[in-house]
Formats: sequence, structure tokens, C-alpha cells
Amino acid sequence: MTRSRSPRKPSRSSSNRTRTWLGWAFKLALVGLVALAGVAVYLDAVVQEKFSGKRWTIPAKVYARPLELFVGQKLELKDFLTELDALGYRRVPTVDGPGQVAVNGSTVSLNTRGFQFYEGLEQARPVRVRFNGDYVGELSGGAEKLPVVRLEPLMIGGIYPKNLEDRILIKLDQVPPYLIDTLVTVEDRDFYHHFGVSPKSIARAVYVNASKGQMRQGGSTLTQQLVKNFYLTNERSLSRKLTEAMMAVLLELHYSKQEILEAYLNEVFIGQDGQRAVHGFGLASQFFFSQPLSELRLHQVALLVGMVKGPSYYNPRRYPDRALERRNLVLDLLQEQGVATPEAVAAAKKMPLGVTQRGSLAESSFPGFLDLVKRQLREDYREEDLTGEGLRIFTSFDPILQMKAEAAVSESFKRFSARKGGDAMETAMVVTNPESGEVQALVGSRQAGFAGFNRALDAVRPIGSLVKPAIYLTALEKPSQYTLTSWIKDEPFSVKGGDGQVWSPQNYERGSNGTIFLYQGLAHSYNLSSARLGLDLGIPNVFKTLGKLGVDVDWPAYPSMLLGAGALTPMQVATVYQTLANGGYNTPMRGIRSVLTAEGQPLKRYPFQIQQRFDPGSIYLIQTAMQRVMREGTGRSAYSVLPSTLNLAGKTGTTNDSRDSWFAGFSQDLLAVVWMGRDDNGKTPYTGATGALQVWTNFMRKADPLPLNMAVPDNVTLAWVDAQTGQGSAEGCPNAVQMPYIRGSEPVPGTACNAAQDTPAAPVMDWIKGWLN
Amino acid sequence: MNKWLLSMLGAAALLQGCASVPRGSIPVVDQGSAVSNSERVSANRNTAYRPPVARAPVQAAPEDSGVQVMVPTSSAPIQASAAPISTTPITPGPVTNGPAYTAPAPVQPTTQYSAPAAPSGIPSASQASGGLSADEQLDGPVLALLTTAQQQQGGGDLNGASSSLERAQRIAPREPQVLFRLAQVRLAQGDAAQAEQFARRGLSYASGRPDLQARLWETVAQAREKQGDAAGAALARKNARG
Repeated sequence: MTRSRSPRKPSRSSSNRTRTWLGWAFKLALVGLVALAGVAVYLDAVVQEKFSGKRWTIPAKVYARPLELFVGQKLELKDFLTELDALGYRRVPTVDGPGQVAVNGSTVSLNTRGFQFYEGLEQARPVRVRFNGDYVGELSGGAEKLPVVRLEPLMIGGIYPKNLEDRILIKLDQVPPYLIDTLVTVEDRDFYHHFGVSPKSIARAVYVNASKGQMRQGGSTLTQQLVKNFYLTNERSLSRKLTEAMMAVLLELHYSKQEILEAYLNEVFIGQDGQRAVHGFGLASQFFFSQPLSELRLHQVALLVGMVKGPSYYNPRRYPDRALERRNLVLDLLQEQGVATPEAVAAAKKMPLGVTQRGSLAESSFPGFLDLVKRQLREDYREEDLTGEGLRIFTSFDPILQMKAEAAVSESFKRFSARKGGDAMETAMVVTNPESGEVQALVGSRQAGFAGFNRALDAVRPIGSLVKPAIYLTALEKPSQYTLTSWIKDEPFSVKGGDGQVWSPQNYERGSNGTIFLYQGLAHSYNLSSARLGLDLGIPNVFKTLGKLGVDVDWPAYPSMLLGAGALTPMQVATVYQTLANGGYNTPMRGIRSVLTAEGQPLKRYPFQIQQRFDPGSIYLIQTAMQRVMREGTGRSAYSVLPSTLNLAGKTGTTNDSRDSWFAGFSQDLLAVVWMGRDDNGKTPYTGATGALQVWTNFMRKADPLPLNMAVPDNVTLAWVDAQTGQGSAEGCPNAVQMPYIRGSEPVPGTACNAAQDTPAAPVMDWIKGWLN
Repeated sequence: MNKWLLSMLGAAALLQGCASVPRGSIPVVDQGSAVSNSERVSANRNTAYRPPVARAPVQAAPEDSGVQVMVPTSSAPIQASAAPISTTPITPGPVTNGPAYTAPAPVQPTTQYSAPAAPSGIPSASQASGGLSADEQLDGPVLALLTTAQQQQGGGDLNGASSSLERAQRIAPREPQVLFRLAQVRLAQGDAAQAEQFARRGLSYASGRPDLQARLWETVAQAREKQGDAAGAALARKNARG
């Protein structure tokens, strides 16, 4: 494998003395040659070993969900454009290549970039989307209608090793026009003709440096630069310089110019992103322009190539003037050398630098969600595989919902901080799709983008009244004993708990409410009736229900647990409410969909799994009661902001002295859990209704989800009852409202009233309005 | 000369020994837990989908002991089965054991039911995955994705099919046809428990679609057979036949 070409000099002499001397010299030379050959062999092995193997460790890349487009999809035009902006699509008058978009009223034309997904390749293609209000009305590609199109997913971060080197590998055929020529022109004009080192360049450098009296120009070839970055340290010494030269020659011996060029393009250091070193043109293009390298145009290419000389000095974000000057210098050189036409150069010079505000890949953009992803990945992969194998992680993260969640938090907190005690408040938020069990957004702090204590996953806080649906669900699973209109008592009582303490719960607003319908206890979050109901059912049974909902609790069976003394994280609460929202089917929360290798080969899937934990009928009833929370109970302030057509279910939670303010609720396709409180567990002025619910409502207003609409299960019947007495009634009777019951548990129908039968049967949801009138 | 050769050889041998093996393949360890979690797709898998054998040896399934209607401990249980339930086995009743809800079946143990030798009138799994039935007209994105999934399944790429179906499920979460296909793929993947769950979820959205209900019940039956629940399978078949 290794070759060494050391010239052997035959020597012949007639003189003995000379012969002896020559003999010694020969032997010495031999030793020197052997030593040199040894070094060469060694270096050769080094060069080949690293170059032929895996050249770089590539951090795993984490992607958001790809945006799906199809006719009938609910999608606001402005959200769509936000997504395209984040993906670095360039607004143009007429689209003629990938990564371009043209907006014309409610019609958006674009050319997708194509992407390798788990299920296969999504081709780059021209797409025309016509919006019809907040829906996609038409989707076509050229002349044909398209059933469904996926955009490429937004990259939301990576999983970085200690040394924090990052790159996006590119191949030579992915580079934009001008890049290679510009690079060769600027950095190493003799690249295609030299053998690794260029005596001509060195001579020129020596001359320039000598005449200017300072180090102005390096004589390094691209090959030498690659060797230096790839194999050697930054030390400046003659021996290193010699090693570099030898290795450069060896590299050229073994590999083609094309291979060396490709390696250079991927290796070169072009910038620093906080702790992360940006290597290679592939990542640099994303980092500075939010665009794939192949889409770069002349002025962008010139800037990146110009920066190679001094990535910090010419940093276009920090020193735009310097960078611009350097870029234009490069452009002039291109014109001078005939690489680009004077027209092209003139046009490029007119362009602004065009760098994005900040690196769109900045590690810290969505630290909360990334944290979730990393925890999941670390269960399944070794750290070095995550940081070094270039895995592609596909997640369910929805950047549009995330931004709306963050905006809801910051807007609400602006109002909160006006009130005393609002400043020290923190918050956390988990947003999921109950129909797929996927986490779509996650807020771990009131400061968006703050990477620190992730409250959504780690803040274990008493859940207050959020526990109550578990009590009522336990009751409603016994339809022979409990219906939504069963009478229960809301009266003071005392009980001796398992810990020997006498426990006397109180309603939040003190007082008691006498005899009420079962559902009212939940809707108004009455403590007295809820606690009594829980005690009647048995605390362990309520815990069992919580377990079935998705969280196994090891709380002591104290009565106070019935009012939410037990603590959970927002994520755990989301798991519980997801089962309530999804017809009683529990789904393990997923943030990751699939993993591909660096080469795009499928590696692992995190499949959708469901398990039925409850009879759909009892879930239908508890959802009904939770809708009452929103219409008439503690959550009703939501409807001062949200349209009454938006059917929602939810529950407030407040702990003693308002130390924790919770709200958990859902629509058909969107579930959000909000927690607010202080990290030091201090008192706050906010209840679940005045605090967390406000954030939640604000978020729902922005997200505009689909109304909750659970299909009526077969074992549920809607019966007419008297809203005052709960007795069976009939359609058209005074006070008659429709109420769902598990078949067989409904009250005996009342006799028909004489009232006109012309009023159509009020749908369940309309019934709500007349309920307490 | 010899010395030179020797040292060269020595150096070469030494260096050769030092050089490490080129690392081509990715040493990622896949250590998922659940069956369908630890799927690794290789380039050409030949695990073609085989329709599950429809007949597990069901010998006069002991209906009365195998499936029970769970009644509340107190008196006067609500017998939902008294009301005609045509499409679902789910009746109210407390769940007593295990975290999973086990749907109590409305059984009036009357006649002994033995599994038919060949389920008549019920499309077999292979037929079911062969094409969309006439009464299931789908269009747009769901149809496109179901078609893709079918091709993937036909080519033996069950993971790809599964992935495409989940994509369809996200677009149309309440389309029972999607859940039906998902159940079929899970069955082919050997995950009978999930197959049953998806089929049952499909049933909760399939009211008014008798053909699809029959197929979903048939899938439930196959899934139960695979899980060793012959009685449950027989019951599901009964539902499948309406």
C-alpha cells in the first residue's frame, strides 16, 4: 500500500580513500533517506487513513415537521409565508428555480427544493397554491392538479459534540456556478497545475512580503490549506510547514484534484456561531443566507470565498463594511481574470450583502423542544453516534405553532408584569396534537429561546384542580351510579385522613353550593363536592384512573390529593389530557417520527401507537362536562376572546395561595397545557383562570384550531331533561335541554309538552346557552 | 540495500498495523424496545407480507367463560346490551383489571359458535389490501398516500408503508380507511396488539359504512387470533358478518 520513491544514487570511485569517504557518506545518506522515507511512509499512512475513512464527524441534524400542502388544508397565507421565509425562500417576480417564491394576491407560486424523507424522496417541483380564506383552495404543479405536496423541513438544530464543529456535507455537483472558479482564482490560481505545493506561489509570496516588509501573502495552495486544517495544528513553525508540504504532495499523489477540492469545500472554516465552529460552504450558506449552497448567486459566492481569508475579520454580521469591501474586491478579481463578465460583476456589486439577521440554525432557537428530542434520542443512541454520524432526525415540531405559543406567552406576560408579583413569574407550555399524540411545540421558559431549566419537562408542581377530571371520569365510568345530572352535595365536611390529620376542604370562593348536578362540580371546580365524590369513589380508584390516563402516580392516598396536592410536570399533564381529548385512547407522547442515516437510509421509526384505556361513552361524558367548564364554569373567560363556535374543553388549576396557575384544554386537533408560577414556589396573584388560562386563550386565538367534535359513541344517547330538576323531559318543553347519557342511565322520558314542536332539536352545543337562563 | 529494505518493510508493517480499519458503515446501535420500534429497514428486505392464516384452531370456543360482560359490583347494572348494538362491542362497565380498557362484549351466550372454515363474504386480508372497495371513494391527499402505502407494502417495505399511512392519518385523523390500512400493516409487521387497537379506533369512526366495518371487524378477529384470543376473534367475526 505504501510506496516510497527514494532515489538511489549509484556511486563508483577508483580511489580507496575516496571510496571509504564515499562509503561513509553513502551510509549517512542512506540513514537520512531511511529516516526521511520513514517519515514519508508515516505521513502517507496518516494522509490516507484520514482521507479514505470517514473524514468528518457530523452532528445529528434535527428537523421540524415538513409542511404538508393539500386542498382543504387549514393554513393561513401569512403562516405559509412565514414558513417559506424561515426556509430561506427568495421572493422573486417569477419563479425559475428551487427555493424561489412569487406571491400574487392569494396565489403563491414556488419551487420546492426536494428532500429525502423516511418514506422516500420528495422531488423538487414547481407548485402553485391558491388560498381560499384560511384554507388551501387549489394545489397544482404546472398543468396538473397535485393531491399532496411536502415542503422540505426546517432544520431546527443539531446535536453537537464537545468540540462543536459543525458542517453540512456537500458534493461537487451541488455547488453553485462560480464557486469553484472563484475559490481557485482567489486562493490558488495554479491549483490545477501544481503537485501540492506551488514554488511559483511561494516565490511570489516571498517577493510580495519582502517588498512590503510584512507578511501580506501566504504561498499556501488549496491542498496545503486543506492539509493544515485537516491534519495539523495551528502552530507556526518551519517543521510544521515542511510536514504540511510533504503531506500536500502525498495527498496529491493519491487523490484527484476533484477529491481534494471537495474535501476543501467541506473542511474550510468560515465562521463562528457562538460556541459552534461553522465549517464548509454547505453550512456557511445556511448559516449566513438560510439557503442551500446550490442556490447561491454570484455576490453571495464572492462573499463566502472572500471570507476564507479571515472569517472573524470579515464577519459580515459584525463588520458589514469590511465584508462588503472584501466581497467587491473578489468580484473585481473575477472580472479581471475573466471568470465573470463585467455585467455580472456590476450587477453583483449592486447587491446588498444579503446575510440573514442571525444564523437560522442557531442552537438556541428552540431549545425547549430540542431538549425533549435529545432526551428521547439519548435513550436510543450512543452519544458519539448522535454527535458524529450525521443522523437526520425528523420530529413533529411545528415552528408556526411554536412561534404562536411564544408570542402568546410574551404578550400575556407583558400584561402580567404590570401587576405586582408578575415579574418573578415563570411559565411552561406543552402543545400537542391529540389526534396523533405528537408534541408540536414546547415552551420551557417565559423567555423564548432561553436554554436552561426546562419547566415543561422538569418543573414538578402540584396540579391543583387539574386532577378533578380524573375524579369525575372515575364516577362517570359507573353509569349505574353516576350521570352528568346526578345530584351531589357541595357542603362542608371533615374527614380524618390517612396521615391522621383532620381535613376540611373549602371552596375557592368559600361558602357552599348545596345540591348540584354532578357536572357542575367540575365546571365550577367546587372543592367540597369534588372531594366528597372522590372519597366516595375511593382515592386509590381515582389514582387508578390517572394511571389509565397516562401517568402512574405514587402519591400517598391522602384526601388532599383529590384537590391536586400531588405534583406533575406540564408534560405529564399533557399526557393525561391527551387521553381525555382522544376518545380515551392513550398515546405515548412522541416528538420524533423517524431517523435517517447521513446517506438518507431509513434507520429507525417511532411509530404511532394507541391503546384504548376507557370506554368512549364515559369519555364523551367527561368531555361534555369539560366543555361546560369553558361555557359556564371557571374557563368561561376564554369566550370573551374566542368565537363561540369554537368548541373547547378544558380545566383550570390553582394551588394554595396561587403558587401554581394551570390550564389544560383542547380542541379537536390541538391540546395545550400552560403552567405559571414562581421557580421559588412563592405566592402569585394569579389563579388558573386569571393566569394560565389567559396565555392558553391567547394561544388558541392565534392557532385558530378546529372545534372539538367527538362523534357520539354508540352507547351514548341524548336525552331531554329539565334543566332545573334533572328529570326526564321532552323536546319543546320549558327548560328542556339535551344531555348525553350512557344508554340505559338516562332519566325516564317526560311526557310531551304541548309546546310547539316546530323548534328543531337543539344540537348539544346550542343547548349550552340556554342551560342556566 | 538489505538494511534499507528491512527498515522499510519494518516501518511499513508497523504503520500498517497502526492504521485503523476504514469505517464505512455507521455503527449506530438501534435499541428500541417495542417490536415495531426497532425496525430497521435494509435495502432489500424480502419479508413479503403474508396474509395471516385466518383460522387458528378454534374448537367450539367457550364463549361463556372466555368473554364476560363486566357488571358493576352494585345492583342494577346498566345492560347496554339490552339495547340493540349493531356496530360496537363496547358497553359501559367498570374496568377492573389492567390499565388497558378491555371492551366488554355484549354476549348473550346462546349458541355455540365455531369459527367457519373459511370466512365467507369477508374479504381476506390479501384482498383487502389489494384495492379500495367500491363504497369507499376517497380522493385527494388521502387516496394518494394510501396508494403510495399500498405500493410500499406490495414491495415489502412495511416501514415505509406504515410511515406513509401515519402521514395520511395526520392529514385525515378520522378517516377509518386510513386506520384500517394501518391496522393491516401492523398485522403484517407482527404487531397484533396495535393492529387490534387501530382497527377498533377505525370502528369508532366507521358508522354508516358497513363494508368497512366488516373489514375492520375481520382485522380485529385476525389480530385477536394472533394474540391467542380465539374467543375474542370469533366474536369479532360475528360482528364482521353483521
